[in-house]
Amino acid sequence: MTGIDVALDGIEGPAGRMVEPLSFEIAPAASLALIGESGSGKTLTAKSLVGLLPPGFRAAGTLRVDGREHRLDQADASWRAVRGREVSLLLQDPFTSLSPVHRCGPQIAWTLEAKAGRRLPARELDTEVARRLDEVNLPARVARAHPHELSGGMRQRVAIAAALASDPRLLIADEPTTALDASNQAELLDLLRELQHERGMAMLLISHDLGLVRGRTDEVLVMRHGEVVERGATARVLSAPEHQYTKALIAADPALALDAPVHAEASVLAEAAGRAEASGLAEAAGAAPLVRATGVVKRFGERTVLGGVDLEIAAGEIVGIVGESGSGKSTLARCIAGLEREDGGTIAFDGAVLTPGRRSRTPGQMQIVFQDPYSSLNPMMTIGQILREALAVGGRAPSEVAELLQTVGLPADAAGKRPAQLSGGQRQRVAIARALAPRPRLLICDESVSALDVQVQAQILDLLGRLREELGVAILFISHDLAVVRRIADTVTVVWQGRVVERGPCARVLDAPVEEYTKLLVAAAHRDRTLSHDPSTDGRTIPA
Amino acid sequence: MSASLGAVGVAFRRRGVPATVIVCLVVLAAAFLAVVLGPVLFPEATKQDILSSLMPAGSPGHPLGTDELGRDILALTVAGAASALVGPVCVAVGSMLLGILLGTLAGYERGPLDFVISRWTDLLLALPVLLAAIVVSGVFGGGYWTTVALLVLLFSPSDIRIVRAGVLEQSARPYIEAAQMLSLSRWRVMFRHILPNVSSLVITNAMLNVAFALVAFSSLSFLGVGVPPGTADWGRQLTDSRAIMFDNPAAVIVPAVLIIAVACAVNLVGDWLGQRLTRSGGLA
Repeated sequence: MTGIDVALDGIEGPAGRMVEPLSFEIAPAASLALIGESGSGKTLTAKSLVGLLPPGFRAAGTLRVDGREHRLDQADASWRAVRGREVSLLLQDPFTSLSPVHRCGPQIAWTLEAKAGRRLPARELDTEVARRLDEVNLPARVARAHPHELSGGMRQRVAIAAALASDPRLLIADEPTTALDASNQAELLDLLRELQHERGMAMLLISHDLGLVRGRTDEVLVMRHGEVVERGATARVLSAPEHQYTKALIAADPALALDAPVHAEASVLAEAAGRAEASGLAEAAGAAPLVRATGVVKRFGERTVLGGVDLEIAAGEIVGIVGESGSGKSTLARCIAGLEREDGGTIAFDGAVLTPGRRSRTPGQMQIVFQDPYSSLNPMMTIGQILREALAVGGRAPSEVAELLQTVGLPADAAGKRPAQLSGGQRQRVAIARALAPRPRLLICDESVSALDVQVQAQILDLLGRLREELGVAILFISHDLAVVRRIADTVTVVWQGRVVERGPCARVLDAPVEEYTKLLVAAAHRDRTLSHDPSTDGRTIPA
Repeated sequence: MSASLGAVGVAFRRRGVPATVIVCLVVLAAAFLAVVLGPVLFPEATKQDILSSLMPAGSPGHPLGTDELGRDILALTVAGAASALVGPVCVAVGSMLLGILLGTLAGYERGPLDFVISRWTDLLLALPVLLAAIVVSGVFGGGYWTTVALLVLLFSPSDIRIVRAGVLEQSARPYIEAAQMLSLSRWRVMFRHILPNVSSLVITNAMLNVAFALVAFSSLSFLGVGVPPGTADWGRQLTDSRAIMFDNPAAVIVPAVLIIAVACAVNLVGDWLGQRLTRSGGLA
């Protein structure tokens, strides 16, 4: 009997049962996707299969690899034989899974030697490492590089090479592409597919993103609150979901609605589009835009990150900036916010030119909502303290905390909690509330929804749309995710290598791109998340 | 009394305090009691009584015996706790405060200020602590509080560096940029936002410094430059009683063991506290 056979009797945590009994099989070279929000138990399930559950958690059940049975409750020492040899784990963030102080070559070599059970001659090892790197489409010189010298996509490829160095029978990939931008995500997942077929290796892909697995896995298990709510062939689950929750997941995913007309499903946002037109008219009538950046240049040492970028934001407008990581889109936002000092060009707010840096700016002009809701709130302060401080800056009374919390859809008792007691989505709401406290005229959202689950993402996007309606705040929305930008922005600016490639109304740019680069970006977004609406016609799906 | 002690024990165990740490805390509590009650219980500890000199341990009225000047070892040891422990605690607290101020400034302001502070710590780190203390005591005449001040200065580089590194790490986090977006004053950002997040490092390091300072103080007293002769002090006892080591071993062993026990206890509690603070992500 070949393949993977998992019979999990449940996972117990300090707060009781976390995962209900579940079982699945994966044939050699086949793949299974485990889908769910954070807290659904998908990562716990994956960790239980390599004996890496956090302290205080216990799993019961068995894992069979090609007929060899392993108990899930065995001691750590016995796991070492399983981990690496039979099962490998690929993590979300290659920055944490690779050792920062070692070069990439040795990190792959360790596993090779561990598998061989002896020291290997240096030359043999070098050749093998080069071969493994070639397998993941990396040049041999990467072996001599430290992880920090590589881009996110390259790091994740090194992590894949290291995970596969032991030739495992099962690869567990836990959100392997979440930290990457759209074009990299697609390439990496296709690479994993290829490697799987060459090696006859089974894969368990953990993701919060249903759109991502379309056409890339054979079967899907949808988990919620530690229970499997739906399972079946990927194509069937995506096209004809049975469970209410799966339907909700699909509906909430902006990528799966990428082909739908812009703003079609949200009437509020449709109204917003109308308002943008109105503000466009106002501008035509002679009113200065809220922000006008002209020829902004920014260099970090030798590297030119922004090579003369122009940008205008009208009052109450939502401007989307899209581009891959490293395109300079965040740097532009940070220059506007005064967190970076531009080396050339001018940035004007409400007609007045601002000198570079924070000193020339007031909190009432603009605020930022950052990407990572875990590090953008001071962990030692309560939500109430954080918001009261921001309110005081805006000259508002401390008693307005409750009102502020209500604006962002949080209960009043959140004020007494610390960031660690809140979920990622709730923290991002607090970050938005803090940004709104001084009543800024411009809200800069720097990848503000990228770290969130699709459902939470949808809620935050709705919230931002609503805030624009109610408060008339302009939003500069930066994202690598075209689908998300499409859902919220009035106009889109495409940035590539520090230059503006294309700009225009959201629908025009994303549906009928003119420039070659924009076309590539849009195509990558489609290939990556919404290959087609009928996966059965997709050439990439695996032959049975 | 025993019931309430039992309740404390249960509470500690429930919070996962290991037995070693409980033992250490008991040692520290006893040392603290000795510091507070020593002068009250044995006001005449240093009084010499030549008639009862050099009595071995277990003699009537002198459970730990006496030294060659007839001073009771038990009384001398309990009374010596204050001198042996207050100085080190002051050194640790003093260098912690200095470290917080200079380390935070260096780490947050960067630039020339950071350069000056960092080179200053390099300079201090290059000085051997004991040697510098001996030289300065020799030149300025020594004295207990001079020694404390000197050790504060010599211990501060480790605090400054640790705080600076912690502040550098925190400064790059988005919550600091969010504070800058609110145009908060630099003092508010440094001491309201950053400092609480490096407090676990600071507190742990201060605990470890108590242990180092305790040993340094005892060494200086042993070398005769810390406290003046005739004072009740554990390090002083070691020097004074070397000659009678074989007549009354307790005179040397008791203060020596106490120095080691308190130093170990502070060290272990410091380690444990550091782990706890790191794991819980803060003092809360």
